[in-house]
Amino acid sequence: MSRNQPRTNGTDAESTNGAVTGSPSNQSEASLTGEGLVLTYPSGDSPIIDDETITAEPGAVTALVGPNGSGKSTLLKGLANQLTPEAGSVLLDGQDIQTLDTKAIARKLGLLSQESTSPNSITVEDLVYHGRYPHRGFFDSVTEEDEAAVERAIDLAGCGHLRDREVGSLSGGQKQLAWIAMVLAQDTDVLLLDEPTTFLDLHHQLEVMEIIETLRDESDITIVVVLHDIEQAARLADRMVALKDGEIQARGQPEDVVTERLLADVFEIEAEVSVTPHGPRINPIRARHDGDEHAVDDDSTGAERPEEVVAE
Amino acid sequence: MVSRSTGVTDAWSRALNWLSGVDASLLGLCLASIGVVFAGGLVQVSFGAYSMTIVEAWQAVFDPQVLFDLEVWQVLLLGGQVNTDVLLNPLAWDSLIVDASLPEMSKQSLIVWNIRLPRVLVGVLVGMNLAVSGAIFQAVTRNELASPFILGVSSGAGLMILLTLVVFSGLSTLLPLIASTGGAVAFLIVYAIAWKNGTSPVRLVLAGVIVSTVFGSLQTAMFFFADDIGIVQSAIAWTTGSLTGTDWEQVRMALPWTVVAMGLSLFSSRQLNVLLLGENTAKSLGMSVEKVRFALSGVAVLAASASIAVAGIVGFIGLIVPHMVRNIVGSDYRKLVVGCVFAGPALMVGADVGARLALNPTQIPVGIVTGLVGGPYFLYLMRKQQQMGEI
Repeated sequence: MSRNQPRTNGTDAESTNGAVTGSPSNQSEASLTGEGLVLTYPSGDSPIIDDETITAEPGAVTALVGPNGSGKSTLLKGLANQLTPEAGSVLLDGQDIQTLDTKAIARKLGLLSQESTSPNSITVEDLVYHGRYPHRGFFDSVTEEDEAAVERAIDLAGCGHLRDREVGSLSGGQKQLAWIAMVLAQDTDVLLLDEPTTFLDLHHQLEVMEIIETLRDESDITIVVVLHDIEQAARLADRMVALKDGEIQARGQPEDVVTERLLADVFEIEAEVSVTPHGPRINPIRARHDGDEHAVDDDSTGAERPEEVVAE
Repeated sequence: MVSRSTGVTDAWSRALNWLSGVDASLLGLCLASIGVVFAGGLVQVSFGAYSMTIVEAWQAVFDPQVLFDLEVWQVLLLGGQVNTDVLLNPLAWDSLIVDASLPEMSKQSLIVWNIRLPRVLVGVLVGMNLAVSGAIFQAVTRNELASPFILGVSSGAGLMILLTLVVFSGLSTLLPLIASTGGAVAFLIVYAIAWKNGTSPVRLVLAGVIVSTVFGSLQTAMFFFADDIGIVQSAIAWTTGSLTGTDWEQVRMALPWTVVAMGLSLFSSRQLNVLLLGENTAKSLGMSVEKVRFALSGVAVLAASASIAVAGIVGFIGLIVPHMVRNIVGSDYRKLVVGCVFAGPALMVGADVGARLALNPTQIPVGIVTGLVGGPYFLYLMRKQQQMGEI
């Protein structure tokens, strides 16, 4: 929806967001903001994400990109309340997520984790019905609303032909569609997806991308997606956020974020970027190593880029 | 259950829908289990010091004079007669049940109903408690080797049994209560040890192993101080599980807890299913994983404790029955728990036939038979099923 909007940097987006949270009656476009997040794994001592602020633009797709170990999945876990921040807070529709009931969160915010396990012998349909968990009380049986939501989710994820199959008998791509259907059945305003296309064949990658596009075009759902593939992210997202070493290095519209300089700084590759109707196209040339022309690049670092960009 | 529909026809169609949704394999399993319980029960009531034919036993079991006599049921299930005079006066409820003895009945009926049938019923209750408890612990710990005793329940109960028999012999009338309390306390200790900003299945299992080892050593040490062979035999009967000498009193002791535990388990099956999706998914679906895990463990410990109180520590039923049922109906806990409620009693009653009659007149603890029968069957399942152990 927002491809044609003027470019917004982080601060602008937050103020836009403030306007949305000011009217809580507006159910359709949910806001999700992480403010000053410091995220540390229970087993580790130094924070993975140190004092970062991120806003998911309401009703749009925000893609998190970055090299391995840049903290993009960690940031997503923090936003999804899977990881309790040491400092800072996550605001879901303006409310601190820590103060909300777990089921209330799950009715508004869905998360598809990177690796999901299930018993092999349950059917796809049963799996999708589990998505209704936050909407059901302890003694509640299935309501018509549940059935409708499950039908919608299965239809949207395009796994109707799989509904009676056992999850254990599916291919990796089919499994992913089933899991997506489960998260969709949760019927949330905010959807967080952690590398939904990784390890899938091209056909299923495109299917997953199409599901996300449909969600963006036909509903007001707010999506944050971690993607490994920058090109894919640029093609899919309304806004991109690039991370490196746990710090946000750039944010904005794909064509502004995906630049040769950013690829050099954040991904440490030399690449050519050309603009096509399907978004920026990246032609990787070679990997950069420590010291390669860095001095030159750093001199020309843009004002909005922090100084920490320099690779060690 | 909350249902949006109110119309009778709608309810009827829903019931039909539910029936058609019932799995054929689950139905078959339940019917077969009921058959085994009936056959085992019939053998149990026919044979013994006073032998009677199967037909006589059958007639005694279905003696209409007993079956439809409210007085008899009051004496058997409540241990006395309900005093209707004080029913509406809560202040006098301590005299609600007054002593009463069984009315006159034939000798066969008396033997069957008063002596032999309660043992079968206790077996049924113990079997379903252990099977369901094991099924719950297998989901909670996400571990296919989990049994009702994985979180230290058996070692705590065993230690308390030995302590009571050897050291505090004056308390032996309270043994059932002490044993099940010991099991529950051991479970809480395990949970406390495993807790560090929450638990995880692996931490729970490891803590269970540690507590079991320590308590097991103490229990063995206790045997060393037992100076009477009678006490040792009694201790072995309690720690391997035995239905010898069980009476209506045991039925009365276990029945209420069993009803509560089974009811909660059946209602919790959806929670168990979601727990099987893994901690991350369960959490993202809005489940308070720690709370649910603790509550479900509590239900499972309640079931295990109820069975320990009346039969001691019967091994193997809780490990093997969930596997058997899973092999037949799959890992959906909505079916699995129901299957366990039926298959547990079948295995328990069947094993008790062997325990009571195999070496007649000597009775061996039923726990020995469940181990002897269950072990090889477990091996058979393991060799036959490629995916054995997958939850």
